[in-house]
Amino acid sequence: MGRTITRRRALRWGAAGFGAAAVVHGPWRAVFAEAKPYKLGTGQPLTGVAAYGGKTSLVGVQMAVDRINKSGGINGRPLELVIADDQSKPDTGRRAAEKLATEDGIDFHVGGFLSNICIACTPVWEEHKIVNMIGVCLDTTLTTSKCSRYTFRTFDFAPAQAKAFAPYLVKQIGKKWHMVYADYSWGQSTRDAYTADIKANGGEVVGSTGIPLGTADTTSFLSRIGGDFDGLFLILFGSDAINVVNQGSDLGLTKKYRLAGDGAVATATQLPAMGNKIEGFVGIDRYLPVFDPPLDTPALHSFFDDAVPRLKKVDPSAPLPDRYVQSNFEAVNALKLGVEKSGFQSRADTPKLIEALEGLTMKEGPDFPTGDKVLRKEDHQAFMRELIYIIKDGTYHLQQAVPYEQTIVPAACKFESA
Amino acid sequence: MGIPVEQILIQTINGVVTGMILALVASGLTLIFGIMDVVNFAHGELFMLGAYIGVVILAATGDFWIALIAATLVVALLGAAIYLTTLRPLIGRDPLYTILATFGVSLVLQNYALWQFGPVARKIAEPFTGQFTLFYLDYPWYRIVIALLSAAIIGGLWLFLKFGTWGIWIRATTQDRVMAQAMGIPVPWVLMGVFAIGSGMAAASGVLFGPLVGVNHVMGLDWVLKAFIVVVVGGMGNLAGSIAAAIFISLLEAYASLWVSPAQAVIVSFVLLILTLLFRPTGLFVPTPK
Repeated sequence: MGRTITRRRALRWGAAGFGAAAVVHGPWRAVFAEAKPYKLGTGQPLTGVAAYGGKTSLVGVQMAVDRINKSGGINGRPLELVIADDQSKPDTGRRAAEKLATEDGIDFHVGGFLSNICIACTPVWEEHKIVNMIGVCLDTTLTTSKCSRYTFRTFDFAPAQAKAFAPYLVKQIGKKWHMVYADYSWGQSTRDAYTADIKANGGEVVGSTGIPLGTADTTSFLSRIGGDFDGLFLILFGSDAINVVNQGSDLGLTKKYRLAGDGAVATATQLPAMGNKIEGFVGIDRYLPVFDPPLDTPALHSFFDDAVPRLKKVDPSAPLPDRYVQSNFEAVNALKLGVEKSGFQSRADTPKLIEALEGLTMKEGPDFPTGDKVLRKEDHQAFMRELIYIIKDGTYHLQQAVPYEQTIVPAACKFESA
Repeated sequence: MGIPVEQILIQTINGVVTGMILALVASGLTLIFGIMDVVNFAHGELFMLGAYIGVVILAATGDFWIALIAATLVVALLGAAIYLTTLRPLIGRDPLYTILATFGVSLVLQNYALWQFGPVARKIAEPFTGQFTLFYLDYPWYRIVIALLSAAIIGGLWLFLKFGTWGIWIRATTQDRVMAQAMGIPVPWVLMGVFAIGSGMAAASGVLFGPLVGVNHVMGLDWVLKAFIVVVVGGMGNLAGSIAAAIFISLLEAYASLWVSPAQAVIVSFVLLILTLLFRPTGLFVPTPK
């Protein structure tokens, strides 16, 4: 108290501030000299109901950005990450996207977790002509009826998963299924995809139960499920998946019926909250944090080893990496390939970047540890290897790896003319 | 198309069990409103913190019941601290002040939990497992026990309010705060005690309900939303009305799920809320105002 701010003191503080800035940005400056960074925006749900996924998604983005900057950036320019929190709400997400596009002046965007937020933000990327690489959103329509020239999904979607999984469900488990799904855009579109493929493989969906998002006590809905069928197919994520698995098991449903479902039900970050009630669950996913052959590759080990300590900083329970870390990591790396190929310099080059990303092939390696994939030109949808697994003793056991070529479904997108 | 009798009976049991859990959550809320005129928007976060503290104590002791009691006490103390630091200076002012203050507290607690415990959901293991056959279902004993415990806690609260010295002070403060103070009742301490009891009840419900769900930073949202509906339908500040409303609303939703889709069944409680506000704003379970 009582200390006056003299010119000498102000200069000293200023010098200290510059020094600190030089230390913080030292590695960047050394590597990139005066290169103007590319601004990569990422909108994630860092608070609210989907924070569990947004926080792990951000880890994936940061892993990729750090790797790229350490290895010299893209076209000699570093990546600068601009993070926005959509608070798990579509209206906030849309405002955050507007801010990224206008005030922050991002060059491209990677992210989006909840499908309703991805859908709400699509017009923003179109209006500002910004390439958007989806991080997690799985709603089928994002690359079918609501597809956009500016939006790319570098990971799988429900029709491809259903094509890969339905033969296994019908032939290995049973013909008759009851669907329990999250009653919103992703759950409904995934339900439709699986219903069609189960039927195409000689099976039958005898009933379905929609669970409203965020329902804590699902017992009154689950206790109506009964009758003659072989398996319960779950299309749920986050706390809804945890609630249905716990409460369904308590009602004896998992004793009567085989439990199967989308990989979102049993991501690595969800397993601890379900304990032994998820035992025997058969799922499909693009990434599993285990190294059963053919997953015992240096690229997957390297990805895992980088992700684990970062996730421990996000959550003290030290969760294992999940599909959300993986898909955001690979989306940034796909963008890097596109930027390199197109020579993208600024938003004016977005058409060239789109052209470079359309039909992009990605080869298994440190950038794409989950294997080869292709980003289809007609709908901007990627196809990749699918992993069918069973949960035993609290961990994943790989049952079958389905090559990406066997997951390809016809494109159902018509881009509006630019 | 007829609904099988067994489904109606199952939904009746579901409705009563869920109603008792909801009644426990709502009774803390209604107690705080009835005595302090504070609409506690942080009630869901106290529910959530109770569950998290339950997780921590359960991990340390391995005993669910110790976790239940300790979490209740810790959150009750936290409630007292929240009252002293945030609400006490605002008591007696426009209700909007306390609404905004508790909303602020809810955001702080929610983000504190996210920062402290991380985004990954945790599990509270049930103190016991086991089911009994209920027609075509295996029904978990634990749900029945939660309902009974909720009834016991609410019953204990009623006895405390009816016969305990503090209970009598609380009732006196509810009836006439100024007169109570004039008669020597330490009203500020009574109000603090009420907020602590309400907070402790939220925490107890969080621990009891924890084994059925994953414990995360937003686990209180769905319950507290319903609890607010219960408080309005039951009559603001009316403890018995809240219990009746909790069971009534849960039964309505359970029965509705027999005829309409789950998403539509959830709407029933909101329709009831709107109808109550339109035609009987004092609540369905209070005597007609003279």
